[in-house]
Amino acid sequence: MMILTGKTILSALRPPYPYGGEFVNQFLFALRLCWFPLLISTIAFGYGAPGLQAGNFLILFGAIDRLGGFFVLATIREFAPFVTAIILAGVAGTAITADLGARKIREELDALQVLGVDPVKNLVVPRFLALMIVTALFNIYALIFGIFGGVLATLTFKAPLGPFFSTLLTNASVTDLWGSVVKTTLFGAIIAIVSCYKGMTASGGAEGVGRAVNQGVVIAFLGIFAFNYVFTQTLLATHPEISVIK
Amino acid sequence: MGRTWLTVPRDWVASLGDIAKFAARDFYEIFGGRVFKFFGEALRQAGILILGSTLVIWSTTFILGLQCGIEGAYFDRSVGAPAYAGVFSAWCDLREIMPYAFGYMMAAKVGTGLVAEIGAMRISDEVDALEVMGISSMTFLCATRLLASWMVLPFMYLAAVGAGFFASYLAVVQQIGEVSSGGYFLIFWMFQNPPDLLYSLIKGMTMATFIVIVGAYYGYTASGGPVGVGTATAKSMVLNVVGVHLVGMLGTQIFWGSNPRAPIGG
Repeated sequence: MMILTGKTILSALRPPYPYGGEFVNQFLFALRLCWFPLLISTIAFGYGAPGLQAGNFLILFGAIDRLGGFFVLATIREFAPFVTAIILAGVAGTAITADLGARKIREELDALQVLGVDPVKNLVVPRFLALMIVTALFNIYALIFGIFGGVLATLTFKAPLGPFFSTLLTNASVTDLWGSVVKTTLFGAIIAIVSCYKGMTASGGAEGVGRAVNQGVVIAFLGIFAFNYVFTQTLLATHPEISVIK
Repeated sequence: MGRTWLTVPRDWVASLGDIAKFAARDFYEIFGGRVFKFFGEALRQAGILILGSTLVIWSTTFILGLQCGIEGAYFDRSVGAPAYAGVFSAWCDLREIMPYAFGYMMAAKVGTGLVAEIGAMRISDEVDALEVMGISSMTFLCATRLLASWMVLPFMYLAAVGAGFFASYLAVVQQIGEVSSGGYFLIFWMFQNPPDLLYSLIKGMTMATFIVIVGAYYGYTASGGPVGVGTATAKSMVLNVVGVHLVGMLGTQIFWGSNPRAPIGG
């Protein structure tokens, strides 16, 4: 997988660049597939986990207006990137593995090589770039709908929305936002590499493709979780100012 | 798949009734007792589940427990109450993240595994062969797996919660070192009680049942050669992640929505 990563980055940078059309296709493909699952998931997650649980806790102190501040931590820093990565790995990643695996089983990949077309440059690189960008963009989308979940939770507690937004905006910082975007871009890279690798090395007929999707999504999830832990820890430890409540 | 913007929701609406019918038949086979003809197969599936999926699920909950721990430690430090990191990890772990982590990994490992396995049997006509031999494929393939998951998963889930607790403890006390071990545990155990664990278990088991049924459904109805199995696997994953989130939200709303169950206030 590391070799594939290296090859992908190298052939993405080295001319010629024949992958423009495929890149746009993959980009739209991921966009079409993921927008609806992500919409439902982020609203559900934002409403349930940080919204209701933290809201319950804060309402005991009569400090429900602080929920907005908590949403910076919960949604921007943690859950929006996380849920985005889960959905992208589960939806777009599995679709990519299934697609490439099918081509591998039908020997289309070998045919491409015989024709002198480099599968890494023409198939992996556009998916890699498209997923990186799509994941980062979807992060913003997830963030908006996660906060919408928080708004729903605030309304459930019959609290006014003004204080929610005011604490949300005073606590949000640019560091949080770029941290979140960088994190999801790298999540996208992990998902793309794992899915492409598993798809291109699928073997063994009917069960093989299913098995490849299964392994691919497990590895992608574990990779995302582990990377998320390391990244969050590093960000929190190196930027102590973002965790100060204002 | 993915030709137009509305493909995914339309697919769901189209297959929702089928899945409900499938689930009803699955439950009928189990509660009608017909599955016990194949109890040996159910035990074998339980064995496969234990050997194949336990470690992956535990390591997922472990990593997410670490995550809860560091977020909690930094958050409680910022509000000036580092000694209360236990509250955050108790609630975050038990009530929200452990069911989610369990659901994600169940969907990824067990759910797609079921689709791949049953789908491959369907494609290579093994399912039809079962029917020809006079064995109800529904009972033998789907009901036994659901029964196996009900036998194994509650225990696996409780151990997974344990792994998450241990990870949060490691992160808060050993790694960040913001609070002493005794102080952490005092708060940690004060802010949870056995009903919370039961609710969390119910949440996890609902997700697991949903995932096994969806996985079995997509596998059982797979068509279109090797490619079809891959596509069905990918599709089942889409429905499963969304289902996990919905079950998580509804569970939170039902169990803790109006009653925070915290030992403070009145």
